[in-house]
Amino acid sequence: MSRTRTDAGRRTGRAAIGAALLAVILLQLLPFYVALTTALKSRTDLSSQWLLPIGDLFWGNFATAIRDGGILRAIGNSAVVTVAATAIVCVLGALAAYPLARRRTTLNKAVLLGIIGLIMIPPLSILVPLYSMLNRLGAINTYWGIILVMATTQLPLAIFLYSSFMRSLPIAVEEAAVMDGANLLQVLFLVIFPMLKPVTATVVILAGVAIWNDYALSVYVLTDPQVKTIAPAIGAFFSTQSSNLGAAAAASLMGFLPVLVAYLFLQRYFIRGIVAGSER
Amino acid sequence: MRSRSLFVVAGATALVLALVGCGSAPGSSETKSTLEFQTGQSVDSVFLKQLTTITKKFESANPGITVDLRPSTSSYESDIKVRLASGNVPDIWWTHGWSLLRYSKFLVPLQNEAWAKDFNPALAPAMKNSHGQFFAFPVDTDVAGIIYNKDVLAASGVSVASLTTWDAFGRAAEKIAATGIAPITVSGKANGPAGNLADWIASGAYSKSELAELSSGTFVDAPYTHVLDLIAAWKKESLFNPDYVSATSDDMSRALATGKAAFAFSQNTTAGDALQYNPKANLGYFPVPSLTGGKPYLIGGEMNAFGISKTSKHLKDAKAFIAYLAKPANATVLAKAAGSIPGLTNVTPDLGVLQASYDSIVKPGKFPLVPYFDRVYLPNGMWNTMVTTTDSVVTGGHANVAAGVSTMAKDFARLDAQTK
Amino acid sequence: MTQASTPAATVAAATGPRAAPRSARLRTRGGGLINLLYLPAVLLFVVFTVYPLLSGVGFSFTDWDGYSPDRAFVALQNYLRLFQDDTFRLVLLNTFGYGIGSTVLQQLLGLALAVALDRPFRGRSAARAIIYLPVLVSPVIMGTMYYLLFQYNQGAFNDIVVLFGGARVAWLSDQTAAVAIIMVVNSLQFVGISMIIYLAGLQAIPTSYYEAAMLDGAGAWQRFTAITLPLLQPAFATSIVLNLIGGLKLFDVIKVMTGGGPGYTTNSVSTLIGVTYFENQSAGYASAMGIVLFIIIAIFTLALNALLNRRRLEQQ
Repeated sequence: MSRTRTDAGRRTGRAAIGAALLAVILLQLLPFYVALTTALKSRTDLSSQWLLPIGDLFWGNFATAIRDGGILRAIGNSAVVTVAATAIVCVLGALAAYPLARRRTTLNKAVLLGIIGLIMIPPLSILVPLYSMLNRLGAINTYWGIILVMATTQLPLAIFLYSSFMRSLPIAVEEAAVMDGANLLQVLFLVIFPMLKPVTATVVILAGVAIWNDYALSVYVLTDPQVKTIAPAIGAFFSTQSSNLGAAAAASLMGFLPVLVAYLFLQRYFIRGIVAGSER
Repeated sequence: MRSRSLFVVAGATALVLALVGCGSAPGSSETKSTLEFQTGQSVDSVFLKQLTTITKKFESANPGITVDLRPSTSSYESDIKVRLASGNVPDIWWTHGWSLLRYSKFLVPLQNEAWAKDFNPALAPAMKNSHGQFFAFPVDTDVAGIIYNKDVLAASGVSVASLTTWDAFGRAAEKIAATGIAPITVSGKANGPAGNLADWIASGAYSKSELAELSSGTFVDAPYTHVLDLIAAWKKESLFNPDYVSATSDDMSRALATGKAAFAFSQNTTAGDALQYNPKANLGYFPVPSLTGGKPYLIGGEMNAFGISKTSKHLKDAKAFIAYLAKPANATVLAKAAGSIPGLTNVTPDLGVLQASYDSIVKPGKFPLVPYFDRVYLPNGMWNTMVTTTDSVVTGGHANVAAGVSTMAKDFARLDAQTK
Repeated sequence: MTQASTPAATVAAATGPRAAPRSARLRTRGGGLINLLYLPAVLLFVVFTVYPLLSGVGFSFTDWDGYSPDRAFVALQNYLRLFQDDTFRLVLLNTFGYGIGSTVLQQLLGLALAVALDRPFRGRSAARAIIYLPVLVSPVIMGTMYYLLFQYNQGAFNDIVVLFGGARVAWLSDQTAAVAIIMVVNSLQFVGISMIIYLAGLQAIPTSYYEAAMLDGAGAWQRFTAITLPLLQPAFATSIVLNLIGGLKLFDVIKVMTGGGPGYTTNSVSTLIGVTYFENQSAGYASAMGIVLFIIIAIFTLALNALLNRRRLEQQ
């Protein structure tokens, strides 16, 4: 008797958890659904956001996003900037993290703390001096300018993640390699880097997404449609005078697809890398 | 696996180097000049499309010149400020009402250009300085009153001709409110519409001598208190849209278009945007009542105008391009796309839905045209103070009037000192 | 996802008991030369972050309007003004509200989701992916979509309210409500990160611990508090640091949902800096705000870092 009661209790508990989980999942899907209904309606269709357009789907917003907004070009630009900047973040991040993880002198502890502090700087407080300097370097509206800026904004987080992860790796392997006569670079490239795959997946996802979506700095540095990335391109549907939500929603959905694909591809490595120390 | 990782690193490094190399490759040949034109328009706007068509014609007529039309985002103002601060100034840019006060020190005076003889005199108070110089080509003259939805007024039995005093306006608005419609739509989220509210009323709140005091650098409290009191009274009667705080400019046009609001204190572009949502919306505008009992007035000034940077390396080409835009045929198309009265007198207006209001109110010249209050009588930089103080009254009512006036006085003094 | 397949785990298993304690230093020939490895990164920081930041310090002693060529030196005036500025004080409180509030919310929800999604069931990976999806979207876009949902006349939430016979609600018109909504939106967008971190942490806890506890007769809640929570310590540290930074720097969601209003009351320091810099044309004052914010956050991080480190030491 008591057994069936606890079974029943457990079943209700499970059902409650399942229902709550379903609610959260639906809530997380809601913004995407609204983006879709907004994107598929013409501006004169003022029906509820819950409803898909009555009658035929309206593809005009996608056409506007591609033709006027140059979204496809922007996706290409974002891909170039994101791949290159993320590659820099991974390489320089891993290199920088190694001494910070393995040579814990007072200097290096301070350097690490300083680097983490850099994450906290609000982009707007460096905007004007940064822009002036980029202008002097001829880096405005260039790929390399925005790639270096983006890499710099994402590097601190990467160094933080890489160094925590490296500290969780057993040091004995490196010592064994050194005893076998390996030099520092050999240790790095042959011993350390191959072990960094999971944390690299984490860095790629976190930094890649942030770079792909960056608006705060990109909107100033990139004004030329030839090099403009996705976020400022979507922003161009909102001027001080008017806005086109439907086209912006269509553009957002198109800009989201490549990230989604990349995420699904990387996610199986992702969970392993994010927590340093969970791999022991 | 080891070699694969190495390969990835090497590949990535090579890619980066290649990109850096590409980026710094020299640009196009020197014989062709390229003008960068920051248009301030959203990428799919009708205005930008017309501008693009005209520019293409210009380019084929002038093979040596390329004009690079840039759309922009809602951060247009800060974008231009960053560019001015860093010295990377575009050749031509949209001055959005600020060619004289904010941008004139960066712009080339244009009063000696051939087309300048047709400069609309109504723009002089806002665009010309004391030496008769002006600094931008005016596509249109912004003549604005209070925009209204004719159907909503008719449904409540309000005649627009009776709205000549703020008392009459208040009574009409209450009548409309009784039908369940929020009479006045204002966006609290955009940095502007709340300021417009005070800007529209303030022009008729100050006497001539008080305006002169403002111009000479002294803030006069009492009339401004009247302005905010009036707004607070409307708040008390719940005459504003209930979503005031979160509404965007877009929501204003949509409310006007769908008959969810009766009035908007706004430039006529709001009416144009409303038509995008509902092409059949029945809209018009009427002159603004005076708070001191004077004649109702219209507000006019610079709206869409383009200035040329004085540091432009292609000054001659930029002037040629602007002269091309100023040709009557082209200026007509642009003014029509902007939905407002042309900035040059030799251009024919085509105002679409607002033509009727123009013909009955503006054309006969019965009502005086006054400049934007803040641009002429307040120091540069006051606009945001005006927006936020009005905002505090729309949300907090009478309790915030005194604080709002004193903030205005304080910032007036600070900014007046800064500009000297 | 089996433990043994990860390189780190493989290596650890191979080297076994010889694994050195964590605090050991690697002795390589060349000693401090190894520090050269962080030079490229530091160079980037100096050029693209530190130098602009220091220029900003310079502006903060002037009355610069943000774009004109001329500016006057005003010494510490901007900083003094900051200490008497009620708006700044309010906005600073908001900033901590956004930072701490979203951090707490994300830990609670993220942990709950991780526990719920740790045990196998059909559709588990789809559920995980969906909860993570919003992280992939730009906060500007996510904020705009939520703005549409909360709109007064056209909003999806008000459509439901009206459907059930209620009157439309002006969701974002009240400071407290607006701050709370922004905080929740930010938390929902980034809860996926916390969830993933805790999932990874949960997977690292050996199942044998739970089995032993069950033999001892420990209930589900006891197992959670006695085993799961303490062993998730490193996960807490990572997740809290990431969320706190995100919350304190919150910008885009505020911009698109309320624009900082009503009045200044939902601004964070980041958005207030933007308004002050460009709209109020007080770039000098805005720079001073940026510097003060940076100092405050730096102190905050140092304290947090010390706290988390001490916890970690106690654990060992």
